[in-house]
Amino acid sequence: MFTINIWVLRGIIAVFLIAIVAATVGSFSVFQRSTFFVSGIAHGSLAGAALGIYLTLYLFPVNPFFTAILFSIFFAVAIGIASHRKEDVDVAIGIMFSFSMSLAILFLAMIKEYASVAWGLIIGDLLLLSSEDIIWMLTTVLLILLFFLLFRRRLLFSIFDPDGAESMGINPYIYETLLFILIALGVVVLLKGVGAILVYALLIVPAAAAKRFTATLEGTLVLSFFISLIAGLGGILLSIFTSVAPSAYAGLIATFIYFLSLLKK
Amino acid sequence: MSKYIEVKNLSVRYNGTPTLKNINFRIEHPSFLVIMGPNGAGKTTLLKAIMGLVPYEGDIRILGKAPKEARNFMGYMPQRDRINTNVPLRVRDVVLMPLLSRRKFGISREEVEQAKRALRFVGLEKLWNRNFLSLSGGQQQRVFLARTLAMDPQVIVLDEPFSATDVATKMKVVSLLHRLKSTKTIILVTHDINPLVECTDKVLLLNREMIAFGRTIEVITEENMELLYGARVPVIRQRDVCYLVGSDTHVHH
Repeated sequence: MFTINIWVLRGIIAVFLIAIVAATVGSFSVFQRSTFFVSGIAHGSLAGAALGIYLTLYLFPVNPFFTAILFSIFFAVAIGIASHRKEDVDVAIGIMFSFSMSLAILFLAMIKEYASVAWGLIIGDLLLLSSEDIIWMLTTVLLILLFFLLFRRRLLFSIFDPDGAESMGINPYIYETLLFILIALGVVVLLKGVGAILVYALLIVPAAAAKRFTATLEGTLVLSFFISLIAGLGGILLSIFTSVAPSAYAGLIATFIYFLSLLKK
Repeated sequence: MSKYIEVKNLSVRYNGTPTLKNINFRIEHPSFLVIMGPNGAGKTTLLKAIMGLVPYEGDIRILGKAPKEARNFMGYMPQRDRINTNVPLRVRDVVLMPLLSRRKFGISREEVEQAKRALRFVGLEKLWNRNFLSLSGGQQQRVFLARTLAMDPQVIVLDEPFSATDVATKMKVVSLLHRLKSTKTIILVTHDINPLVECTDKVLLLNREMIAFGRTIEVITEENMELLYGARVPVIRQRDVCYLVGSDTHVHH
């Protein structure tokens, strides 16, 4: 009888959750051209996760997922405020980026198992997820979906035509900040599975490729989901046979699909 | 319901600096008002105040209501070059967008019909399922007009509808506006009044404060243009119509 290893099963569940995030948050980030923001937040969440690990090892138990969410949301809101005050958003992201990376290195340096912990956060591992990780990921994805279902129309209006949205009484800054918070939550979902460096590969690359294959909103969302799913599942499959972290393969597959999309005129 | 759009002693400040000072005018409903002024004159701010989007001092009444209460019967047409062209949308997504934004889920058949009627009015009903970004600039502009009309507004506000458009597009939009002016009040900000001189009822010249307000033939004079732009702008008069000659305008006819 066919049996499936519990670690592999958790990895597959995580890939499905990541694909949902790529379809929703990833697509809207690409529409909003907030892709550099995704990179910045990934490093913010890295600092949060490192702090969570440090606290658990030396002071009191706290799930690194939780501290990563706190840090990411803090950075998201700070960048949202900077944008509202007409600051250069890229500069604000760059400053948050360097601030959070400095904090991440500081927290990681205070952990004795420095190398393995740092490596785990930077490249993640879809095949090393605990049940608790899956519950955190699932809860966060449900929260993202709830926000998305409730506000997707106004969010889309604000992204497409901020002036028109404002004329209808929709505050585009509030919705931009909401998108930043959704990105922050999405990044944390991906952090544990694919690591801070490759968050971009599974959150942004599928949506960027999907947008080249289709000219409709629904098409982009559905295709982003499947590209992310194929990349994630392919990553797990190749990892089983080669003992290399699945995130590396997932990133390569997603990027390969993007290159394929470039062939489409 | 009052039959007027009235602005009394309107002043707007941004961070303590006056952007608009002591603006007063009244237009009947329906009618066609054109607002002109140099860059930074506060034209968009005036539109925003009329739509209740910026804090102001003074009084604004839109058919008897305060701007925020009047939002349901006002429609705004954005500048096409301010749109995010990175969003893959069909024409129907764009036209339905304001109607959809009022609801969390679903949309009524009547609202869809309303949107289709608006698209028919601008002559683009066959493009309902077409990719919006694949349309020409002129067609996109008309889709935005359809989107505004789909809300069935009493008052239509247009901010620089002719920016980055060719002459043919300008004339198509003008002819559509001409058809609307018997039932809707149109408030339009532009640098180029020439295509509009024949359908405009009133013109307001603005440069932080009101330079002039009245009928086109009374307001578009070389003296007022000099006051407005700080440079001589020739005006050509032909019976009861006048045209501006300038770098961003051209003689109509």
